[in-house]
Amino acid sequence: MQVYALPDISVDTTPTSTREEALAILAKIQTLKPSKKWPNVDPGLFLQNIKSNIVSPLSLYEGSNTNFCGYAALSYLPLHDDPVRYLKFMLQLYEQGNGKYGDAFLNPVNEIHQAAGTLKFKGTLDIRHADQMWFLTLADHFKGYVNFFNKNYQPGDENTFWASVNYAKFNRMVRKLFKYEVSTKGSDLLHPGIKDLYVYIQSQLTSPGTTVLYLNNAYLYKKKHNTLRPGIPTHYVILLGMFKINNTITITYWDYGFRSLREVSPAFLKKIVFGVTHCTKNTSHD
Amino acid sequence: MTKINFMLLLVVSWCGSCTTTNISKYYYDNKPTLDKIDKSYKLEYGSRPFSLEFIDKSFKNISIEIFTDSLKYIYVFKEDESRLKDTLLKYHITYKAISELLSNMRTVHCNWINNLDYYVDKKKNSLVFMSIRPLGLHFPFKRKKYYILTYFAQPQYYDREGRLLDKRRLRKIRKINEDVFKRINDKVAYTLSDRYR
Repeated sequence: MQVYALPDISVDTTPTSTREEALAILAKIQTLKPSKKWPNVDPGLFLQNIKSNIVSPLSLYEGSNTNFCGYAALSYLPLHDDPVRYLKFMLQLYEQGNGKYGDAFLNPVNEIHQAAGTLKFKGTLDIRHADQMWFLTLADHFKGYVNFFNKNYQPGDENTFWASVNYAKFNRMVRKLFKYEVSTKGSDLLHPGIKDLYVYIQSQLTSPGTTVLYLNNAYLYKKKHNTLRPGIPTHYVILLGMFKINNTITITYWDYGFRSLREVSPAFLKKIVFGVTHCTKNTSHD
Repeated sequence: MTKINFMLLLVVSWCGSCTTTNISKYYYDNKPTLDKIDKSYKLEYGSRPFSLEFIDKSFKNISIEIFTDSLKYIYVFKEDESRLKDTLLKYHITYKAISELLSNMRTVHCNWINNLDYYVDKKKNSLVFMSIRPLGLHFPFKRKKYYILTYFAQPQYYDREGRLLDKRRLRKIRKINEDVFKRINDKVAYTLSDRYR
């Protein structure tokens, strides 16, 4: 099957393609045989999932109570800017069990092959078998210091530090996989030293590219009534819009499965933001 | 074993077993209100999907998430704020119904109600998820636990120990938000969780 043979790309440019091109390729594939590499992945659900991601990229869902948000956030880039490469890679991964994406050769271990398609009780992710493959493969390949004590996948690790993504790892993944120019402000422990955060984020948002916020989820989505909450970031979202009226900031962000809109105060924004990453396409051959 | 050690052992084992009794007692004591909450939430959810949350311990401030085709709107209000009424009106949600729902939730200390989707044999099903903040003694440095009740639309399968199963034949335990649930009756299950959503 040569339909998904990955084309060569220049070393330093961000490849791009359109949704129509991806759908034209997908239209040629009526059915898939069950994969020998991924015994628990349902071919029909796999194809349906890929098509849904290409047609409506915002439908991609990290799953309830998983640590896949970092991988879901970065998926926004290929699904919007280069769906053909995403599609071809996923078909190759399905067929061969491994594949090269950008500068990374993703070759998941057997435990990952066995786990994809078996994740359950995660909402829509239960029936999104291609997303399960994608998230598990990325988490298996890319490691940061947060994964130090749990590097090998065991069932249930999608909710543990095995799947976690620290800030440096996130930015590294975007560079290696998709070849974007990535500018970053922030860290895992300290808030970014930006005098006027609203103005800074707004300037990022209005320039070409995609803006990712690295947030403290314990404040964004409160889950306990504790007075003391961990002051560390654990969540990534794609920022889609932002405006300020009087002292109220309205933010619109993609939080996987949905676009969310909420009003926050400047002080709250400062409290939750730990990182601002801006990804722009590399078009030069410097 | 000294007398004191024996007493301590007795207290520890009693505390371990009283969880089930507490939740069951809570459920049966408040059944009419809880059932009313489930029914009215489902009715309003049918016309406009939303979730409702009391964000503070005093049950005065609420957060509502309203789902439209394109966006999830997240609002925070004081319950008596006029903006709440205006917002609900904008999304064609009945203020009177929500006001009653909030009042019932406060009565039984329910601080979060939501609809959860789950899949059985690739088929989508839904349940109503309620979190309850039990009152009573709370020891410093001990993690606060929430009672979680799930209202299913259909009778569910349970094992001999009363644990919620995924399917009858496979006998796989169904977890919701990583918690194992136990039977209260065929359609209602409970768990104790350290988070309410």
